[in-house]
Amino acid sequence: MKKLNVLRSAIVAVLLGLICFAFTAAPERITVKGSDTLVILAQKWAEVYMKTNTGVSIQVTGGGSGVGISALINGATDIANASRKMKNTEKDKLKARYNTLGVEVACAKDGITVYLNAASKVKELSIAQLGKIFRGEITNWKEVGGDDQSIKLYGRENSSGTYVFFQENVVQGDYASSCQTLPGTAAVVNAVKKDAYGIGYGGAAYAEGIAICKVKRDDNSPAFAATAETIKTGDYPITRFLYMYLRNKPTGEMKKYIDWILSPEGQKLVVDMGYFPVK
Amino acid sequence: MKKLKNLLLVIVTLLALNVRAQEQTQAEKLSEVNDKVNGLLERIATDEADLQKLTKIKVSGYIQSQYQNFETPTLLSKSQNYFSLRRVRVKFTYEAADGVKFVLQPDFAPGNLSLKDAYVVVNDHWKKAFSIWAGKFNRPNYEVEYSSSQRELTERSLIIRTLYPGERAIGAKLEFNPVNVPIHMQLALLNGNDGLTIANSAGTNLNATDNIDYDNFKDIMARVTYNLPLGSFGGLDFGAHGYFGAIKSNAVKTLSSDYTTLSDIKFGDKLSRNWLGGEFQLFADVLGGLSLKGEYIAGKNATVGYAPVPAAGTVAAIPGVANFQNNFAGGYLYLIKNLGKKNQFAFRYDYYDPNTDITGKDVAVKGFTSTDATLKSKMSGKGDLATSTFGFAFHHYWDDNIRITFCYEIVNNEKVGTAGKVVDSYTTEAGNPGKLDWSNSINQNVFTLRIQAKF
Repeated sequence: MKKLNVLRSAIVAVLLGLICFAFTAAPERITVKGSDTLVILAQKWAEVYMKTNTGVSIQVTGGGSGVGISALINGATDIANASRKMKNTEKDKLKARYNTLGVEVACAKDGITVYLNAASKVKELSIAQLGKIFRGEITNWKEVGGDDQSIKLYGRENSSGTYVFFQENVVQGDYASSCQTLPGTAAVVNAVKKDAYGIGYGGAAYAEGIAICKVKRDDNSPAFAATAETIKTGDYPITRFLYMYLRNKPTGEMKKYIDWILSPEGQKLVVDMGYFPVK
Repeated sequence: MKKLKNLLLVIVTLLALNVRAQEQTQAEKLSEVNDKVNGLLERIATDEADLQKLTKIKVSGYIQSQYQNFETPTLLSKSQNYFSLRRVRVKFTYEAADGVKFVLQPDFAPGNLSLKDAYVVVNDHWKKAFSIWAGKFNRPNYEVEYSSSQRELTERSLIIRTLYPGERAIGAKLEFNPVNVPIHMQLALLNGNDGLTIANSAGTNLNATDNIDYDNFKDIMARVTYNLPLGSFGGLDFGAHGYFGAIKSNAVKTLSSDYTTLSDIKFGDKLSRNWLGGEFQLFADVLGGLSLKGEYIAGKNATVGYAPVPAAGTVAAIPGVANFQNNFAGGYLYLIKNLGKKNQFAFRYDYYDPNTDITGKDVAVKGFTSTDATLKSKMSGKGDLATSTFGFAFHHYWDDNIRITFCYEIVNNEKVGTAGKVVDSYTTEAGNPGKLDWSNSINQNVFTLRIQAKF
């Protein structure tokens, strides 16, 4: 009987050992999902990288930071792009499902730009004024130096990292119920372009055909537009890092891809696409 | 010629009138379309506002359907293997406003419809660090709060199931989660007796009403955890929890854990239930991700007895049963390893000794012999034996929603020192008598095949 127990214990120990040393090979096909702010840059990175690394297939889709992180947690993507940091609740889910805390890679910087219609008389706003506008406490442009017209708010869906970042850092409360939610930054830009009394927010790279509102940290500070210089110096008050999240430390092809994104070549594309490099 | 001129004039006039009439019709049509578009926009705005309200309601849930095979002998009263629905839960979460959340979670398991969670959470608007919970919610403990839809073994460890039956309790809780410090603190004030059985002399459970406390004593539970990042290696979460409670005595004597000391207690006095636990969860980003999780809890628990019932008329006197306060200890250790993106392996060792003052060889030897006719004697027995379990589980994640689990648990009981002292008699399905002698290892292993669908 004792012999049998020793044999059983040995089999259990060997099995446990084998299981502990089993690991996953890095994929040849990399899937990337998440932030709509980052999607055009991520697509460019993939396109350029695949040209010189023909054996690798990289598939990039958007959907929003929350969608990307959910996909990372349930194993549906290898990289989650996010324009905000991962929340503790999301980290807990990743811990529960994959027993890791995830790996955070800051891959670019961005200034959340406040979009105004090209005809708007308003040229600058403070963070406090923006907060009041998006909370629905300031509803007429005349209250901030514009025409006597109602303010039309355009924003992102709550799965968007930009939505969360803007809410936490600017709105600091609930968005006004009149804020029209649109699927993607391009849609926000389009809406503001067509609406003389519209205001929206989103990534700097999308700001075309509209007026960019300068932003003041407070009423006594100077106003700055989001430029490479003001973001680098920290003068522009609504800046953030853009992230890629992975389940585990990257290995193999995934590591090569991440290293390339952070290399001067990858970071040059960041600038070319209208974003700002991490360093 | 004049006639021709007049005719042309009439034609031109008619054409001009026709054009004007057409212009008028077009303007009317445009105005009509404009009105329709405005009407539609108004309806869309109303629908959007209604939809926004609906997005505040989140519905999630899961179903666990399973087949289990038990090694225990085939008894008349219970099947040895069966299919069952372990969980049929739907969770409704309503975010009434920023920082205010209502949660309602019924369980629709056949024959056992029950309300599992019903609470409101209010977060502080200023620091966004404090939240107040009120209602019925999970007690603050790692394994309790870890949802069974995520848990790596099919059931919680024995010590947790014993200390926190049903996992939930009714009360209020204050949570502190500072934004920039990875510390998590919980302080709960609970009825405390949720799920406990407190039998009277007739065997009736005095604590059967889940919604109302059995006594006036409220229990305090506290838990503190800290998340320590370990760089690229992973992270270590560690912490402690404590239970500081009491239950109303229904008896006039209390027997100590080692069966030697009988002390007086008043009917209605506090019978303390206190314990402390330490926990850790190590997450290592090595070989695809693995974790080690453990917890150790020790303290003093209590079982409520009852006072003697004097004889009345033709009804004979019923001697009382002393309260029993047992020193206990136990814990668990998990090893969880991911096998690629779709599979996971888990091992758990769990141990629970309900009475640390009595070893197996003392069981059925040590006991309290009453010399008082109004108080029953109490001999140590099966309830004092420790249990250890080795559990192995393999999970396959079919897709985002479906998890298939194979689990085998090897249950080992502490053995009684002398054969024939602690014996369970039973009748088999064939009608033959059988005996389980706890001086031997009792076959209690369990195999579970479970399919979980989560949405």
